[in-house]
Amino acid sequence: MEGTQYMKIAVALLVLLPLAGFIITLLFGKRFFRTKAHLLPVALVTVTAVLSIYAFEWVVRHPDEAFVWNAFSWVAAGRLTGEWGFLVDSLTGIMLLVVGIIGMLVHYYSIGYMKDDPGYYRFFAYLNLFMFAMFVLILANNYLLLFLGWEGVGLCSYLLISFWFRKKSASQAGKKAFLVNRVGDFGFTLGMFLIFVTTGTLQFTGVFDKAEMIGSGTLLWICLLLFTGAVGKSAQFPLHVWLPDAMEGPTPVSALIHAATMVNAGVYMVARSYPLFIHAHTAMLIVMIVGTFTAIYSAYIAITQNDIKRVIAYSTVSSLGFMFLALGAGAWVAGIFYLFAHGFFKGLLFLCSGSVIHAMGGEQDMRQMGGLRQKIPLTFWTMLIGAIALIGVFPLAGFWAKDEILGGAFVGGDYVVWAVGIITAFLTAVFAFRLIFMTFFGECRASEEVRHHIHESAKVMTIPLVLLAIPSALLGILVGWPPETGWIHRFLEPVFFDLEHEKFAWLGVGGGLMVFSLAVALLGVYVAYVMYIRRTELPGRVAARLQVAYEASFNKMYMDQVYEVVPIRSTIAFAGWLWTFFDVKVIDGAVNGLARLWELTGERLRPLQTGRVQNYALSIFAGMVVLVVVLAWFWGS
Amino acid sequence: MNALQWWLTLSILLFCIGAYGVLARRNVIVVVMSLEVMLNAVNIALVAIANFRGGDPGAGTLFALFIITIAAAEVTVGLAIVIANYRNKRTVQTDQFNELKG
Amino acid sequence: MPGGDFHPWFFVIVAAWVLICGLGVVAFKKIMYSAVSMVLCFLGVAFAYALLDASLVAIIQILVYVGAISIVIIFAIMLTELQEGRYDQFFNRQSIFAAPLAVAAAAVLTVVVASSDISGVTDKALNPGLKVLSDLLFNRYVFPFELVSLVLVAALIGAIVLARKEEERS
Repeated sequence: MEGTQYMKIAVALLVLLPLAGFIITLLFGKRFFRTKAHLLPVALVTVTAVLSIYAFEWVVRHPDEAFVWNAFSWVAAGRLTGEWGFLVDSLTGIMLLVVGIIGMLVHYYSIGYMKDDPGYYRFFAYLNLFMFAMFVLILANNYLLLFLGWEGVGLCSYLLISFWFRKKSASQAGKKAFLVNRVGDFGFTLGMFLIFVTTGTLQFTGVFDKAEMIGSGTLLWICLLLFTGAVGKSAQFPLHVWLPDAMEGPTPVSALIHAATMVNAGVYMVARSYPLFIHAHTAMLIVMIVGTFTAIYSAYIAITQNDIKRVIAYSTVSSLGFMFLALGAGAWVAGIFYLFAHGFFKGLLFLCSGSVIHAMGGEQDMRQMGGLRQKIPLTFWTMLIGAIALIGVFPLAGFWAKDEILGGAFVGGDYVVWAVGIITAFLTAVFAFRLIFMTFFGECRASEEVRHHIHESAKVMTIPLVLLAIPSALLGILVGWPPETGWIHRFLEPVFFDLEHEKFAWLGVGGGLMVFSLAVALLGVYVAYVMYIRRTELPGRVAARLQVAYEASFNKMYMDQVYEVVPIRSTIAFAGWLWTFFDVKVIDGAVNGLARLWELTGERLRPLQTGRVQNYALSIFAGMVVLVVVLAWFWGS
Repeated sequence: MNALQWWLTLSILLFCIGAYGVLARRNVIVVVMSLEVMLNAVNIALVAIANFRGGDPGAGTLFALFIITIAAAEVTVGLAIVIANYRNKRTVQTDQFNELKG
Repeated sequence: MPGGDFHPWFFVIVAAWVLICGLGVVAFKKIMYSAVSMVLCFLGVAFAYALLDASLVAIIQILVYVGAISIVIIFAIMLTELQEGRYDQFFNRQSIFAAPLAVAAAAVLTVVVASSDISGVTDKALNPGLKVLSDLLFNRYVFPFELVSLVLVAALIGAIVLARKEEERS
């Protein structure tokens, strides 16, 4: 492979620079860097963005090869070997662009957003650590290293969600994220074990070569277990509960980790395991079902939420569901396409919401907002672009990707899935524009003093907004056109081999579906317009009429309560039982009992010590007699 | 039973008689006396063996002599202790000497 | 039969004397009877030594045991004897166990001795005479000899210290 020495350097730096940034900033940030603590991490992350683009370029220039480099042997235990091995192919290339560019923009944004925060240096240190882990995850060429990155981003998620750790809700949210993730990770680990047991290796190439030889039952289990990990990491039902709570973390964190990069890790991992899933149709079916259900479920919840970040969080869950829907339905390229676009517009939406919150002096409740359009116009326009991209209006990015997914479902015969997807699209349009209308239009409902302080954010925050708005708008056309045979499809061909691409029927079914979904989206916008601009008393009345439905949506479908009752309470009860019965009675009983035994023995043996020598002499004499008898017996015989 | 065995039997019997006295009497001075009886029994055995068997001819006899000597010293000290004890406790009964009980 | 030159009956008489006096020591309720019994026992043992051709030991037995130890014991009896009526029992509680134990011990040991093939060397004059003994004592066994004198001194001093009256504290 020519030109690989530069690639090696690039890949090594991609991994090492953020790590170095983390260590240095963490160690020295508090004393030496203080308010300038962002300098090193931001500089490093800019470099990694450049390197990501370089790596992407390399893949473009070498369409049929993948860069593979086993740099360093880390684990060598009998048959199990784990190396620091890297793989850069077209899938990696896409991920690198997302992670590298959005990561960089978020770092810049954070300079403004986190200004004056006492934990300034810590934030940037953690951000860099996250970049390190994320790069390891996407660059890995074996499941073990991927899992290292996987756990690493989970850790950073925890650290950053509970960044303002003195706030109780924040630290609890961090714990929740980590624990729920753990459940998924457990499945992932089991899946890895199974892979290793059946194929003897964890390297992607090794595993995929043997994919066809694995028995179908085992393969099904492997895929399901791996998918469990994805469910946890990418917040699908029922392990989605951590994502909305994760909004306790600072907005840049939400943008980077919970929209653009970390939550995509699950999707990436499933996509990477394409050769395994392709042979396990039941697993794909389950993936699709889970994704579909999650998509509509979280969209349903999103329409009643009042916290601006929560709405976007549920939207993310829904979007991720969409991606899994795509993968499960067989539209692999569409799914990754959606991931690509989603990273940009969802990240944009989060950063814009951060800008809004910043302008409102920390207020996140949309009921306190309104009429911000004139006051923070740049935020408004960029957020609008993001929203339009989200709901899938032609010609922005979301449209092409979403449409390809739904169209593929319909054409493939999954009408139910298509219908659910359409409804989800409708709901998405409703809540997205509900957000826009409540926040930027109408009367400003904020108090007098808050209104005074509303201002546009600093350039360091607004420039990333603009930079993200551009791909949100244009990516679709650039990359996904024409549908089914656009650039991205050809680009990802080596990864998703053997996939059929039907020629897109512009005038027939394909075109019709496209128009229909566009109409649905616009309908949703109209509904939101009516409810929140024209007749603002409507939402209240609808809520009163459909009270059960409204309550269910508002209370997040009671999932947290379900978790509280079923696993949590029973675990606590079990722990309590273990304490009162096992620990107190059995263990303490055994230990104390043993002590009592010695005590009693001592008490019983005490009378032997009479203090009278004659008694002792008797014992000695008796012993002597016994001894003589014994000796005589043995010597005699 | 040859001659030596008879003498040894005598020694054994005397020893056990003395042992009984040491173990069973209440007056500590009687215990001391029984102890002396036991020592004599041992001496008899020693001298008998020295008389009937070869080997080092003087060792047995001298050993018996030393035993006599040391016995004398031991009786002296022992009785001194008994007397000192008697001064404090006004008793010579062995069951009263149980300070080390427990 | 034992004894060598002497008639075996001498052995029987001496043996009986010694054993009966020994029993007297342990069995008499009055201490003085015990003490006298003990003296007679020592005398008997001296005769036994004579029978065994150990003339030196016999003489020393009489000198030391009968002449000194017995006196000391009797002194002790005098110094500690209480009124007769104060004694309630002469044998302690474990004497019931001690008796069979002693009998058993005697039986076992006797059986062991009797069933062994220990015997004497036929050459008679084995117990060395005075000359040989004193020769050994002052040449070969001089060290233990000196040590024993040291022990005697220590015992002497110890006894004096132990038995003297406590000083009056004023």
